[in-house]
Amino acid sequence: MKSFWTEGRLAWAAVALAVLLPIVLRSNYLLHIMVMTEIYVILALSLNLVLGYAGLLSLAPPAFFGIGAYTSALLALRLELPFLISLPAAGVAGLLFAAAIGVPSLRLSRHSFVIVTLSFTLLAQLVATKWTDLTRGAMGLPGIPPAEFFGISVTGKVAWYYLVLGVTVASLGFFVLLVRSRLGRAILTVREDEILAQAVGINTWNVKLYTFAISGLLGGIAGSCYAHYITFIDPSVFDFYYMENLLIMVILGGSGTVWGVVAGAIIFNVVPELLRIHPELRTFLYGIVLLVAVSAAPGGLAGWVRSRKERRGRESSQEVSRA
Amino acid sequence: MFFQHLVNGLIQGSLYALVAVGLTLVYGVLEVVNFAHGEMYMLAAFAMFMAFNLLKLPFVLAVAFTMLVLMALGYVIARAAVVPHLRRSFETTVLATLAASIILQNGARFAFTATPRQVILPLEDVVFSVGDVIVTGQRLLIMVTAIVAFAALQLFIRKSRTGKAMRAASQNKDACRMVGIDVRKIAVHTMVLGAALCALAGAMVAPLYDIFPAIGTTVVFKSFAVVIMGGMGNVPGAMLAALMLGVGESLAGGYLSMSAKDALGFSLMILVLLIRPDGLFGRRVRV
Repeated sequence: MKSFWTEGRLAWAAVALAVLLPIVLRSNYLLHIMVMTEIYVILALSLNLVLGYAGLLSLAPPAFFGIGAYTSALLALRLELPFLISLPAAGVAGLLFAAAIGVPSLRLSRHSFVIVTLSFTLLAQLVATKWTDLTRGAMGLPGIPPAEFFGISVTGKVAWYYLVLGVTVASLGFFVLLVRSRLGRAILTVREDEILAQAVGINTWNVKLYTFAISGLLGGIAGSCYAHYITFIDPSVFDFYYMENLLIMVILGGSGTVWGVVAGAIIFNVVPELLRIHPELRTFLYGIVLLVAVSAAPGGLAGWVRSRKERRGRESSQEVSRA
Repeated sequence: MFFQHLVNGLIQGSLYALVAVGLTLVYGVLEVVNFAHGEMYMLAAFAMFMAFNLLKLPFVLAVAFTMLVLMALGYVIARAAVVPHLRRSFETTVLATLAASIILQNGARFAFTATPRQVILPLEDVVFSVGDVIVTGQRLLIMVTAIVAFAALQLFIRKSRTGKAMRAASQNKDACRMVGIDVRKIAVHTMVLGAALCALAGAMVAPLYDIFPAIGTTVVFKSFAVVIMGGMGNVPGAMLAALMLGVGESLAGGYLSMSAKDALGFSLMILVLLIRPDGLFGRRVRV
């Protein structure tokens, strides 16, 4: 259990570092980037679960993100429900939509799944734009109330940083427990060999559906945080722009790993922000990076680290045998 | 009005068919979903704009120019994003073509800006009318183009050596390699063929709608629905499904609402997946 222990220690160190970060970061701009990074970590986990663990390419994370944002915003604006209700409600909305889309699209093949998830994202944006009675269309929903706990509303970047950090750490903990659980092992088995998984008695269809639904849940939660933090949403929350960022974070971070993806989300959010690359140029460059990454380094950052470790291990064992 | 909607729908359906058939052909032969297909369509419209408005080529030459440009583009995408990943997982090719689509769409945004462009053709002013039904020359041309293109495509797939090799590749790639068919070459040919069909769609539609870098997304959204409804990889299936979707949308737009029209493709796709996951016409008839 040594590896578990060291990994656990690293995780606590990372959380401690994250808790202490606002002491160093004094500017609101940097804190804003960090809050967005936290939201991206949740979203990246949601994509990582389906792509990295189940081996299914879902292009729907922006859809669940947007559905979560709209659910949360509408509950808060129209029904005046508090954040403590609208946040889980957004998660549940993401989960239900994912299940509803998963049932038809996971039946046939992974191929139709990709197509249906992309179409669903485009449809979600279309509905948000056209259903003006509910969503006010392109005018968006302004004035979403900030989160409120026992009469104290969360305002200011530092407070938001900690609130979203709490949600992110909880999501991360949930994610780690999930992938180590029985279901998590079943998910990996389905990715590695679906027929073998069926042979050992795993209901592969259910496993895939649950995985996709949970990814919808995470996406919805991320959307809810975003809506209450920014306090304004419009149909651009469904933009495919988010998907491109997520793919870069997950694939270059190392899909199918936890810490690689978290590192990917942080790096690919903070670095372009600090370099102040124009968003349009950024998507263009990301396209090239994605093409190169898919062709040259399918394992991503985590895969690179692992192969380096293995190589070093081999080299040192060779030295030992030579000596 | 019903017949007018019907004719409009058939014309819209012909357009969907031109785009979707290329997509389903590539899938049928290579098991690759080309996510850059919508961007091919968009660039075809821009190529038409350049050929017709800037180079002042006559219509037929402009269409030929568009097809040449797109075939070159199809070749590049095939070489860069499809051929290197043929033996890797399905997701890899999706990601590679998706990356190509991101590059092309954002590249187009830089090169052409988001300003909508128009191609103005005299054919749009030629009006045919039979009873109450009115059709402009350009719209009629879309339908004629689609019919000619599909006849030529069927002939090519059935009779030519390359077409036969494509069918062989769709059935068994390992057997192809064994008898000396270069599957990578077939992959390039198929992508170029799909791009040529896309070029026809883009060139024919350019005079009807505004041209801007995001137009590919909407069309490919419909084409995906068509591909799944027709059965993935089933070329005749995609043609029929495209016509059905075109007519369905036209009727829904005429009698229900514009929103119903936009959501129809997706709803039908989900319905087909629930009832007949292999598509309306099954998968027995392929390519």
